[in-house]
Parts: sequence; structure tokens; C-alpha cells
Amino acid sequence: MTVAPIASILVAGGGIAGCSAAIALRKRMPGLAVAIIDMAPTADSMIDAVGAMLPSARGFHGDVGIPETELIQKLGASVRIGTSFSGWSSGRPDYVHAYGDYGHSLGSASFHLHWVRAVLEGAAAAPFDAYSGAAVMGRAGHFVPPPDGGANPLGCYEYGLHVDPARYLGMLRGYAAHLGVTRHGGQVADVHRDSVDGRIKAVSLADGTSLSADLYIDATGPGRHLHGALDTAFEDWSRWLFVDRFLVGTLPLTGEPAVLDRVVAHTAGWLWSGGSLTGTQHGFAYASRAIGDGKAARILRGTSTLDAGSVPARIAPGRVARPWIRNCVAIGDAAVTCEPLEFTGLHLVHNAIDRIIAKLPATDFSDVELWDYNREANAEADRVRDFLIAHYVTAGRSDDPLWRTTSAAALPDSLAHTLSLFAERGRLPVYEEETFSRHSWAAMLLGQGLIPRRADALAKGVPAPQVADAMARMQAQITAAVAQLPPVGAYLRHILDGARR
Amino acid sequence: MATNANTRGQSIEKVVVVGGGTAGWMAAAALVTLLPNAFELTLIESESIGIVGVGEATLPHIRAFNERLGIDEAEFMAATRGTFKLGIEFADWGAIGESYIHPFGTFGHGGSDVNFHQYWLRLKQASVAVPDLDRMSMGVMVARENRFALPDRDPASIASTFGYAYQFDATLYAPYLRARAEQRGATRLEGRIVAVERHPEDGDIRAVILEDGTRVEGDLFIDCSGFRSLLLGETLAEPFEDWSHWLPCDRAVAVPCRTSGEITPYTSAIAMPAGWRWRIPLQHRTGNGYVYSSTHLSDEAARDALLAAIEGAPIAEPRMLRFKAGRRRHSWARNCIGIGLASGFLEPLESTSIYLVQAGITALIELFPDRRDSKIDRDEFNRLIDMEYDRIRDFLILHYHATTRTDSAFWDHVRTMTIPDTLAEKLDLFRRRGRVVKYREGVFLDASWVAVYLGQGIIPAGHDLRADAPPAGAVVRAIDTLADEITARVAAMPGHAAFIARHCAMRDAA
Repeated sequence: MTVAPIASILVAGGGIAGCSAAIALRKRMPGLAVAIIDMAPTADSMIDAVGAMLPSARGFHGDVGIPETELIQKLGASVRIGTSFSGWSSGRPDYVHAYGDYGHSLGSASFHLHWVRAVLEGAAAAPFDAYSGAAVMGRAGHFVPPPDGGANPLGCYEYGLHVDPARYLGMLRGYAAHLGVTRHGGQVADVHRDSVDGRIKAVSLADGTSLSADLYIDATGPGRHLHGALDTAFEDWSRWLFVDRFLVGTLPLTGEPAVLDRVVAHTAGWLWSGGSLTGTQHGFAYASRAIGDGKAARILRGTSTLDAGSVPARIAPGRVARPWIRNCVAIGDAAVTCEPLEFTGLHLVHNAIDRIIAKLPATDFSDVELWDYNREANAEADRVRDFLIAHYVTAGRSDDPLWRTTSAAALPDSLAHTLSLFAERGRLPVYEEETFSRHSWAAMLLGQGLIPRRADALAKGVPAPQVADAMARMQAQITAAVAQLPPVGAYLRHILDGARR
Repeated sequence: MATNANTRGQSIEKVVVVGGGTAGWMAAAALVTLLPNAFELTLIESESIGIVGVGEATLPHIRAFNERLGIDEAEFMAATRGTFKLGIEFADWGAIGESYIHPFGTFGHGGSDVNFHQYWLRLKQASVAVPDLDRMSMGVMVARENRFALPDRDPASIASTFGYAYQFDATLYAPYLRARAEQRGATRLEGRIVAVERHPEDGDIRAVILEDGTRVEGDLFIDCSGFRSLLLGETLAEPFEDWSHWLPCDRAVAVPCRTSGEITPYTSAIAMPAGWRWRIPLQHRTGNGYVYSSTHLSDEAARDALLAAIEGAPIAEPRMLRFKAGRRRHSWARNCIGIGLASGFLEPLESTSIYLVQAGITALIELFPDRRDSKIDRDEFNRLIDMEYDRIRDFLILHYHATTRTDSAFWDHVRTMTIPDTLAEKLDLFRRRGRVVKYREGVFLDASWVAVYLGQGIIPAGHDLRADAPPAGAVVRAIDTLADEITARVAAMPGHAAFIARHCAMRDAA
């Protein structure tokens, strides 16, 4: 190939997304020169505001050599195994979306189809999340990491982490420097484009410094300081996702950190809490058209006695049409912006970084290679979008005028298909680039009270008494196993004690 | 109106399978086994109508199908005179004189984010001497040596990196399944269908009438009538989407012969001047056929070419088949589901005929409706089947298009034709740096595409930069070690024929 390979990368944005990209590129592609424009994250960066991470973050840490024990010991990180949702369907109990299996399949039908059948036939069935070892563990505040292999009454599960975002960022910055990432302080002042091919030729900073690279990664958040100079096409999701503000603050930890984040529905959006050993984050995601910022701050203070002096972040939900265009690729809030309802922000950053590394083209930036990147990245973002919208559209809050607006908008075709199929018979179609497993989808939809119209034929192939037995056994085994587990604090103390030895 | 809503909303109590070939009996056996007591199932077939039974070679997916039906492998293979199949040998496709094997398995050991062929490409592009990529595929090497043993279950073992399917006598598979289906309550009716009756109010199919006047009512009809597509095509007039501009072969002549060469653990597809020829070795005979384009070759010439090419004396008269590549716009229309040839046809170049039957049955069972007008289930079924057809179609077109052959009008046509955009993108991406468009669903995975691309001379200009991470010397050593390990493992395996004799020999050598 005569086209020169990419030899240098300039990352714009000094927040968690930008530092993570710089670290991964240095670590995994040692031949590349990586520089970062260390712009402080803005208030609108969701990724820098929310400390809750999905399990995929642990894979990223493993890939780049950040030991989890150090995150716990030095940053006070804690573990999280899912989220409990309250008030999303009036008259229904809280439900837990945990990162693990919900029951196990019987015959050739998955568990949730058996559960639906039991409910429809009026048989005894505990709430759906009572069959998830991870969910029950989370509710109890107990925790052990998933054992390696072997039969486990708790089923398969994964866990994520909770960190203080500012401390985490501090650690990433130090690690990036240690790996040899070149740092430039300052703000992007101007983007210079080639008049022939439209690519970025150089980026100049406020102090007049001019920086060039083969590839530019835009991690500047919703401001899109680089990508925005090349392309402004944006897919707006606001007709489905009405939340456009997010206010967050931290309180000191009292007691042990929660293993489940908590998300409580509100007329104007939802309230969140979750935390690490260093403190508990409280947030309020709301629609500015339903409530003013001052009132939102009072509501958040009311639930958390938060000393809220902070400015709410603005969220314009949607994604750029082409995250990778010419020699510039947008990641994080610069590529996809949405409320942190399922904590997908950092997950999408990590996947974008993996995808950039896996698909790194040469300096011709051929259309087909960028097409392949954008196809996957956009499909992934759209699947997350569907998962978030599903929370609103299936919520039993039709009394709230704001919540009604989501149901009134025509849904994306992919989500309409999923919901109609699920409402009919509990089936969940598989799409490419899905972030959340079928277990997650079932936990959310059934938890919200979307009970399918009829039982699946394959589930009915297993005799009802046999299913009832199996369900009772699963639930009993989970209850017994969770009772034996130590509280999460004991697990964290064990890691912390390891540091002292 | 009320009547209309009432009958369409009624539950499915009677399922009628029309046609009793491979598709019909696979459907019947699977439905009564996996959805027991859910409905009455009647299968109508006529002994006076022959079965096509072209799908003698299969894909590994059939093992899962048989397993779900509780079929014992050795018993099944003995009954159908089956042999093992590790992949397909393609001869003379990219260029005359070249051949490669598309294995059911990986290159290298798998388990890494970076596909193994990327390391190999890296060395090739740096002009480092490396063994043939074939030597890094356990499946290819076992096949080339005409050996066979079951794969290891331990994923750490190199002998776990190949899969297998069967080559069997499809005319024996249907009766084998029939016995099982009837045991589990399926009813077989002998007779030829002469009329189809539809619900006057909504147009769904209500009953089929046999020659002797018997009227068979049903709530759901499964059309396994083969190319004729009696219900889906003739009655419901579901339009046919014609793909013959991409896949111009429209005829085949087939003849079995005595085996004189090895009972190879693979199927062969040998490119011919106007199409290609299959060779499928069974325990007792070898199946042969010439799939050709009637625009480019006369029936007589095709027959002569086939008879001249086969390895032993023919043991039956050559049979002619006519078909057209393409599929019905919807495989499930109204209360009728077309399975197999009744819903579409793709030539058996990659042994997908039985796979498509199986995919239709699996989707139907997972989406089994509870009433006739089940639009939601139907839409999802059609979405799944469309995806299967489209992806297989592109894979087949690749075999024809990726060639340097200029020896006939047929090859000139397929080499220069416009291909679907979906394939053009895939090809372009591979040419760049050996990447395969990623799909989670779909029958042919990365290794299959890689085998065909490289086997037919699509050589990438670059490679995945992640493959540059380890030092070159370490990659060379790893490749040599792997090739040596595979060679040693293969040498310790029994011959294919010996394995069959011990494991699953047929009982009477008719």
C-alpha cells in the first residue's frame, strides 16, 4: 500500500473521554505519536459529571492496564451491579435492572417467556427481578465478584464501578502523561481546513500554537470544537427524550455505598443517586420546559440536602450523523449526547476508542472504511437510544403531560418493532450493535409492567407444574445464596486492607 | 365483520403441511417434537410427485437441528448413508488450476480480537516467508488429508477449531424423519392436491382438496411443495424476486455414480465453463451434478460434460432440474408459510438448501402464531428470513464475481456484472485491509468470507494495524508452531472411511 499510515493523533478535549482515548491509543498502538489538547471539560459533559460505569469499563481498564484494586484503594471507587427504578409505572413496585441473568431457560424457551406464561395463567410468580441473583444481591446490599466458571446459583452476572469523576479524571491525566502522551494546555481557537480536500490541516490554540496530526479525535463534548467545523448534520432525539437538563452534586457517604444506583421518576424527569467510597452523587435530570432551574435545584436539595451551587448541564439529545468524517472522529458527548439514565456515556466512549483502534485506516481515509466505522457506531448509538426511549414509552405515567409526549411521538421503526413483538408474545428481536442484553431488555420492559398479550408457544411446550417447580427452586436458591454473602462494605474493606498489607 | 374477526382470531388448532420432501418432513418432525400437543398436524404428500432432494450436503447447523429432535448421530448417519463434511473444496473458481477449501472452522486458534489472517497478511506484505494460510486451519488440513475425528470439546485445544456437517442421501432423510414425526402424532395423507379453498371473507387459505375429494381444513398452512410453490406462489400469488441477473445458473443435471476415488470428508464444487459441478461422496455412492446457465450451455452439452467428468460408472439416468435464483417477496403471507424451495431458491454452491429449510422452521417455531392474522409474528419471520437470503445471496455472488477467468462468455458475464451494493461494500472493505463486515447474525461468519476472498485471489492491500503490535519474529514462530501442531494432530487422526466404518457404517450395502 503506497498510502502513508496514520502516525500521529491529536486528541482535543482533556476530560475523561479525551484522556481515555489518549491512554488507549498510546498503550495499544505504541508506534503512534499521541498528543492531547487538555481543555477542561465543560459543565455540559455528561461523561465528566456522572461517576457510574457499566461493566464494560472494567474491560477497558484491563486493556490499558489500570488495576481495579488501585481504583478502589486510591480513588475510593466502589462496585455497582445495576440500577433500581422507582415510580416509573404507577402502582407497580420498584424493579431492578441488574447486569446479569434473569432466571435460566427451560426447554427451548428463555426464562422470561416462562415467567410471562406463569403470570398470564395466574400461577404463583415472584417479581421478575427475584429470579436474578445480581438483582437480589443488589437489593440486599451484598456483593461478591462473579466466580470463575462452575455452576452458580446466582447465575452469570457482571458489575460496573462507581467513582468520583474528578478523581478518576485526575488519575487518567497522570497515567496519560506517564505513557508519553504530549500535553498542550489551552483552548481550541481555530480549525484550519485544506481548501481542496476539506480535511483539518491544523488546529490553533488561543495562545497561537498551531498543532497538526494525521488524525484528529474530537472529545470536546457537545461543543464539538473540531468535528463541528467539518460537519453539522445531527440527528435530533428530543421528540422522544424530553430531558434536557442535568443537575448534579455530591454528599458525604453515610453507611456503606449502595450496590444499586437509584433512579426515581419525577413529573419533570427523574432523580438519581449512587456513589462511591468518597461520597454519594445525587442528580436531577429534567425537562426545562416543565420546570425552572431554580425549582429543580430546590427539589434536588430537598431529596439530598445538597448544597447545590452548581449550574445544570444542558443536554441536546441526539447523535452526529457521521461521527467519522475525513480525518476527524468525534467520540463521547461530541458524538452522542443523551441523559445518563442507563449510564451509557462512558461505555460509548470506550467502544468508540476500541472501534477506532480496530478500524484505523491509512491517511487516505477511504470512504468504505469510514462507512464501516460509522455504520457500526451509529447502529450502536441508535440501540442505546431505543433502550432509553423504551423507559419512557412503556412507563405507566400517562397522567403526566410531559411523559405523554414520548408516547405521542412516532417511535423509531426499530423500537416500534421491538415493542410490538414484545407486547404480543415477549419476543425480543436481535439487532446488530446492541449494548443491552435480552436479559436487560426483559428486566426493563417487564419491570415497567409491559406484560405480553400471550404466552409463547415454546414456553407452553414445558408442562406448567414443571415450570412452577423450577421457578420456585431458582428463587429459593438465589435467596439462600445471597443471604450467605457479605455486605458490599466487607468486599471493599478486603480490597482496602490489601493495600495496607 | 363480526364473523371475519371471529374466525381470524381463532386459535391455531390445525396445521397442514403441503408436501413431504426433505422440507416437509423436517418441518413436521420439528413442529410435533418442539410444540407437543399444541395442534393437530397433517402432512399431505403424493408418491407420484418426486422430491428434488438436491441438498445432500449440509452445513454444521443441521447438527443442532437433529439434536433438538433427539436424533442419535450414528443412527442417523447409518440410516442416510452419510459421511462427514469438513468444508467445501472450490476448484478452478478464481482461476483455472487453483483450488481452496472453505472450512467449517477458523484460521488459527481464534479467541483474539484480531483475526488470525491479519498476522499472516502482515508477514506476507512484509515479504516474510510464511506457510500457506491453509496450514493454519485445522479443518482444511484434516480435509486435505482425508481424515476425520470428532472435534475436541476443550476450547483450549487446537482440535476444537473445526466444525463438521454431513453429506447424506436426502431421499433417505425424509423417511427417517417421517417415522419420528408419525410416532409423535403427525398424520400423513396420501394424495395430490387439486384445489385450494379460501375464506371468502378474508382471503386466507381455508382448505385444500385432494384428488379423491378429501377436504383438509387448516388454520395454518406450511407450503413445502418445492419449486411449484403451490400455496404461496400459485394460490396467494406472492411475487417472486428474481436474482438471476446475479446468479444466472438456472438448470442442473444430476447423476449418481460409483465412488472410485476417496470418500472425501468434504464436498467439491468444481467450476465449469458455464457453471459448476458438485461432487458429494456418500457411503455407497457419489452424487454429481452440473449447475449451469441455459443461456450459455445446452442441456445436451451439460449432460455430456457431466458424464465425461464423473469418476465412476453412472448408477442412474441423469435427471434434469430447472430453477430460478430468487425468493418470494414474503415467505410468510396470510396464513401460509413457505419453507424451502416453495419460498425461494439459491443454488447449492455453499450447501445452503437444507440450512434455509432449517432457518425457516426454527423461525416459525419461535414465532408460532396463536391466530391466523398474526401480523406481528409474520413481519418478524419475514425480516429474519430476508436477512438469511440476502446474506447468502451476496456470499454466492462473490464466488462468481471474484474471478480472473476469461475462458467463456459465462465467466465474462459474471466477472463484469454489476453486483449488489451490499456486496460491493464488503469486497471493497476486504480489499483495503482484509476486514470482514461484522454481523452477529448470519450463517457465514468471518472465517468463511476470508477463505473465499483469499481463495479466489482478493488480496488485501493492507492489514489491521493491531497485527503490528507483536515483534515479527514472535509472529513467525507462533505461526510455525501452530502449523506444526496442526500437522501433528492431523497425522494422529484416523482416515475418514475408517472412522465411518467404526462409528456409523450403513447396515446394508444396497
